[in-house]
Amino acid sequence: MSDTDAGRWPRLIHSEEEAATAGSVSGALAEGRASNLGLVSACSPSSSGYWRTGEGNMLEKTERVITVNAVYRCPLRVVREHYLRPCVPCNSALCSQPEYCCNVGKLLPAEVTHYMVPDSSVFDYFEILEMPELKGVIWLQTVTDALHSKRGWRYCNKLRSLLKDPSHECVLFANEYHVSCYHAREKQTLKKDWEKRIIYAAALWYYKHCGEKIPIIIVADEDSTKRYKVKSKGVYVMTFKEYLNKFYSDLEAAHNSCDFIDEALYEEKLESLEASGINYNKYLPPDILEAGLKSGRYVEGILYVNKHTKMEAFVRVQDTDQSEEDYEILIDGINPRNRALHGDRVAVKMFPESLWKRRMGADHEGYSEYVPTGHVVGITQKHKRDYIVTFPSKEDILYYSRKTKKYLAVPWDYRIPRIRISRKQAEKYQFCRAIIHIDSWDTDSRYPDGHVVGTLGTGGDLEGEMKSLLMEHDISERPFSEAQMGELPVNTAEKPWSVDHEEQDRKDLRKTHLVFTIDPKGCEDVDDALSVRTLSSGNLELGVHIADVTYFVKPKSHLDKEARARYAMSVIWELDMTTYEIKKVWYGRSIIHSTYQLSYEAAQELLDGNLSITGNIEEFQDMEEKEKEDRLQELTWAIEKLADIASHFRAQRGLDGALDLDGIEISVLLDEEKNILDLVPRQQRRIHRMVAECMILANHWVARKIYESFPRQALLRRHPPPRQNLFSELKQSAKAGGFHIDTSSNRALALSLDNAYDVSDPMVNKLLRNMATLAMSNALYFSTGSCREREFHHYGLGLDKYTHFTSPIRRYADIIVHRLLIAAIAEDKTKTELNLLSDRCLEELCDHINERHRAAKLCQRQATELFQCHFFRDKDADRDERCVADGIIYAFRDTAVQLYIPRYGIKGTANLKTKDGCVLHFGANGEKIGWVPGALWRSHKQADCVTSSGQGVTFRIFEHVTVKISVQAQQYHPNSLRLEILSKKPYLDPEARHTPKSSPSPTRELVEENSKENIPEEYRQFQQTKGESLYTLLEEMKNLAIQDISNNL
Amino acid sequence: MAGLELLSDQGYRVDGRRAGELRKIQARMGVFAQADGSAYIEQGNTKALAVVYGPHEIRGSRSRALPDRALVNCQYSSATFSTAERKRRPHGDRKSCELGLQLRQTFEAAILTQLHPRSQIDIYVQVLQADGGTYAACVNAATLAVLDAGIPMRDFVCACSAGFVDGTALTDLSHVEEASGSPQLALALLPASGQIALLEMDARLHEDHLEQVLEAAAQAARGVHTLLDRVVRQHVREASILLGD
Repeated sequence: MSDTDAGRWPRLIHSEEEAATAGSVSGALAEGRASNLGLVSACSPSSSGYWRTGEGNMLEKTERVITVNAVYRCPLRVVREHYLRPCVPCNSALCSQPEYCCNVGKLLPAEVTHYMVPDSSVFDYFEILEMPELKGVIWLQTVTDALHSKRGWRYCNKLRSLLKDPSHECVLFANEYHVSCYHAREKQTLKKDWEKRIIYAAALWYYKHCGEKIPIIIVADEDSTKRYKVKSKGVYVMTFKEYLNKFYSDLEAAHNSCDFIDEALYEEKLESLEASGINYNKYLPPDILEAGLKSGRYVEGILYVNKHTKMEAFVRVQDTDQSEEDYEILIDGINPRNRALHGDRVAVKMFPESLWKRRMGADHEGYSEYVPTGHVVGITQKHKRDYIVTFPSKEDILYYSRKTKKYLAVPWDYRIPRIRISRKQAEKYQFCRAIIHIDSWDTDSRYPDGHVVGTLGTGGDLEGEMKSLLMEHDISERPFSEAQMGELPVNTAEKPWSVDHEEQDRKDLRKTHLVFTIDPKGCEDVDDALSVRTLSSGNLELGVHIADVTYFVKPKSHLDKEARARYAMSVIWELDMTTYEIKKVWYGRSIIHSTYQLSYEAAQELLDGNLSITGNIEEFQDMEEKEKEDRLQELTWAIEKLADIASHFRAQRGLDGALDLDGIEISVLLDEEKNILDLVPRQQRRIHRMVAECMILANHWVARKIYESFPRQALLRRHPPPRQNLFSELKQSAKAGGFHIDTSSNRALALSLDNAYDVSDPMVNKLLRNMATLAMSNALYFSTGSCREREFHHYGLGLDKYTHFTSPIRRYADIIVHRLLIAAIAEDKTKTELNLLSDRCLEELCDHINERHRAAKLCQRQATELFQCHFFRDKDADRDERCVADGIIYAFRDTAVQLYIPRYGIKGTANLKTKDGCVLHFGANGEKIGWVPGALWRSHKQADCVTSSGQGVTFRIFEHVTVKISVQAQQYHPNSLRLEILSKKPYLDPEARHTPKSSPSPTRELVEENSKENIPEEYRQFQQTKGESLYTLLEEMKNLAIQDISNNL
Repeated sequence: MAGLELLSDQGYRVDGRRAGELRKIQARMGVFAQADGSAYIEQGNTKALAVVYGPHEIRGSRSRALPDRALVNCQYSSATFSTAERKRRPHGDRKSCELGLQLRQTFEAAILTQLHPRSQIDIYVQVLQADGGTYAACVNAATLAVLDAGIPMRDFVCACSAGFVDGTALTDLSHVEEASGSPQLALALLPASGQIALLEMDARLHEDHLEQVLEAAAQAARGVHTLLDRVVRQHVREASILLGD
């Protein structure tokens, strides 16, 4: 037999190599008895029909060992064949061997600049890849298989339709069947790495196959980018973001989608960090819980979720038995939280000390202590409320829970987890803000289930957002019902209200006292009035009169200028003329007539001695000159005396450690169409302090009275001392600025705050005071029966007893106090005592009031932020002058600074360093140039931004910079403000020159006051100092001391 | 396995073959010295070993002997390690019996039994690894073994399986394709005359498609024939070299 015989047989094609058969039987046989067996192999020949035409392909057989995970079975290892062929259609118009490839159908265009090969890591961005603008995409078979296994048939179908669609320039290349592109998976390599290797090999082959005419870009994740970055010419690897920025930088839609997807992925990653085993523990049965709580094994408290890091939550336990302070237990992570929501009352079991963790909240950067940590074992009381959510759009597959075919709604409040809603409801309320109620949360589901109970309209407009804000805090703005309104006494033009002459037990002060009220301009409810006069004994009589709400009167109209008598509850003290010591105090019901209704501004002008303001005061309009003068003098004397008395009492409180912490309040100016005109920070003048001091005095004395009479049922107000650890930021910033703040007691704190005054920059002191405010705990109403007497102390005011008495029109607690006072002064105690609330009821009522008050304060704060955002929303941040303002740095974070903008009263952070390592770069004149790669060093005192070229810029604490304010729109949550530092120089606001000076500190004030005092005539000639204040005096002395007097000798 | 596409849009099957392509076939004759004829075939990953004894006296009961022709006795056995899960197969179970019967029918048609009356020809086939198309591999192995034993046959018996997926006929099914539940048939062919020795199908197939599938199977069987022919010639060549031609 010779080879010539071969000619008789039909032309067969040999496969030249023996297939590399790993681990198969024939392989073993081949090795063992190769000589004997000499297996003959052949390939399938070609013919027409189902077989390939042409030269014929040599099939090469390899094997793959695959582990098949079948359901209800243990995983099987199977061996599968894999045939490779030399020609696989490349589907490109640039094919260099078209007859070999036999491309049919859709081809990749030749005119594009590059071909893109996506990797399995870009599946998250699939919707961007679906855009027709992306041309020249080669989908490798490896990648489509990965898509199928990772994302399911839905994505596969999408891809399939993409590939069929002629308008999309993308093709499939079966790289795994090509003999040059396929590498067998080596032992011990991960599937991921193997895939990457194959993709790279395929791209390389493709590049060569197209005659090296067109570059191939593989779009992969960061690791592959690093590994394969510079391996060969023509094939480049980059991340998806880079790719978009380089080639499709003007495709807005793609960039927006990309950002949004990144955000969602980040959030998913955070959530999945802890959700490795989604099985939550079941709650303990109630009897075990109760037993555990009683025995002390478990503790109970309310759960608070940290707003900045959602993963962290803590339970505040009020330990009334053993220690005096409440303590907190940290619940770190999603699993230990065991489906409890913010505001629930939970039972917690503490971990042993070895498992305690550190807090990682954004505000506690330097805080590295280990705190008690635990996990939730049961919920004793759920926080029953409904939540406002926004629904993601239908196309947003990231929010679509594949397993259960339901949508995940994103709540307005950051602290609540996403809630699963059925698809029908989600689609119906797609673009609205909806209110949902949570139904249940199973142990095996990551999110709770809920359903929609109402809507709030589409988000975005001011009205809607206000409504959602109010709803979030459970504040109802329902008008009072008819029945309620009917209970009020009638006071209309036809039937004017007048004093009931049967009221004999009221002291009539209308004739004897000069009573006036001082309130903000445009105030409608006037509930407090002041009076002061000299008694015949020489002593002074100070009176504070509060509207008697048991006889509620409608606010007065401006038309009616007739003498209006008002019922009031009065507190009248008799003071020593000179020392202002309180000799006697009287409480009682009275009738008053307010002679003057002054505004704060008018009263301040009178106090300053500017008598020309009388032109604006109504009551002075129709008077003759002589009477006007007398009256004016009387009024001015009264106001000045009051101011004097007030400052005396303030000083007294100061000795006990009263704190002067002015909050930054913003008032919003609206025009007729309810558009926001401006945001103006409120100023605190001396007159405000005066009125406040009188009110504080009244409150304090009423507190004493009702406690005396009802030691177990009085409603008082206390302010517990703040926790020391909250002062850390204040101390750090103050130290960096060169001031020392002593927080050991309220007096020490007050003194050190007064001393922390920078003469060149009064804002520093304000800032420090503001930071001190943040550390304060909340003042609480409480019932005296449930607290020990030493806990009655009010830290902020420096008083041993305090209550709220002076604003019954706007606070319910004051009404309770009024009733208590009336009962206390009544002669017949037995009748009234029955109407008072018991200690237990009072305690519950106090809890409720405290909670509502907290909600109202929070709501107010958020509403301020809302208005701020709206103010800046329609202003072009780059061009509008109002978006640029002066800001002061008051703290340093890892990559940002914290700024306070006095003009608008905004506090926020501005970045100094971005995530990819670029820092702010400023030019020589201090103007911002841009972001360049560099590094950031920071300490408590300063932060240095050094660019890679070596230039640096330093920011020191309390430095003034120019800031640009813009709004960062959020789809699911309230908008937030974004601050950027524009320049290192302070911003000189042109309007700043017109706004009135900010009020000086108390010491300054005192100095001013004393220097304003009339120096008696005889001493004037001895006046040596030319200047006015103590400071200049000291300076002069210093200069004198240094002066060379030798010449004068 | 669910989710695996048997035929992709581009026309590739699970293992990368086209619709009408055969798997790699390797075969060897004369692997057992002690048997009269033996052969080993690998069709893809399906490996079958066939051993032929005969023609010899009828063993067992003489009553079974046929006066005018030989008795063909086929036995099929599948090793316990032949499937992905090790499974103990008792010798006389239904599947083995059925396959044995089918083999017998096939070879009775092909072997010239008239030449050996009152004798018995035993064909034992064992499947060492079952990856689809076991019947075809058995038939092909048995053919070679019979040829190795020198028993005259009318023609080669070449077998191949074929299936029908997405309007296309696939030939030489692997285990994945067989397990998918699509209609499949096994065809044993005498290639020279085109006569069908055995045609077996155990699924529902619309009669319009039958022609197509049958044609594909026939084509594939002819392909197998070419291969087997080559194997035989190679074997003879080697043997003659050894004998010193």
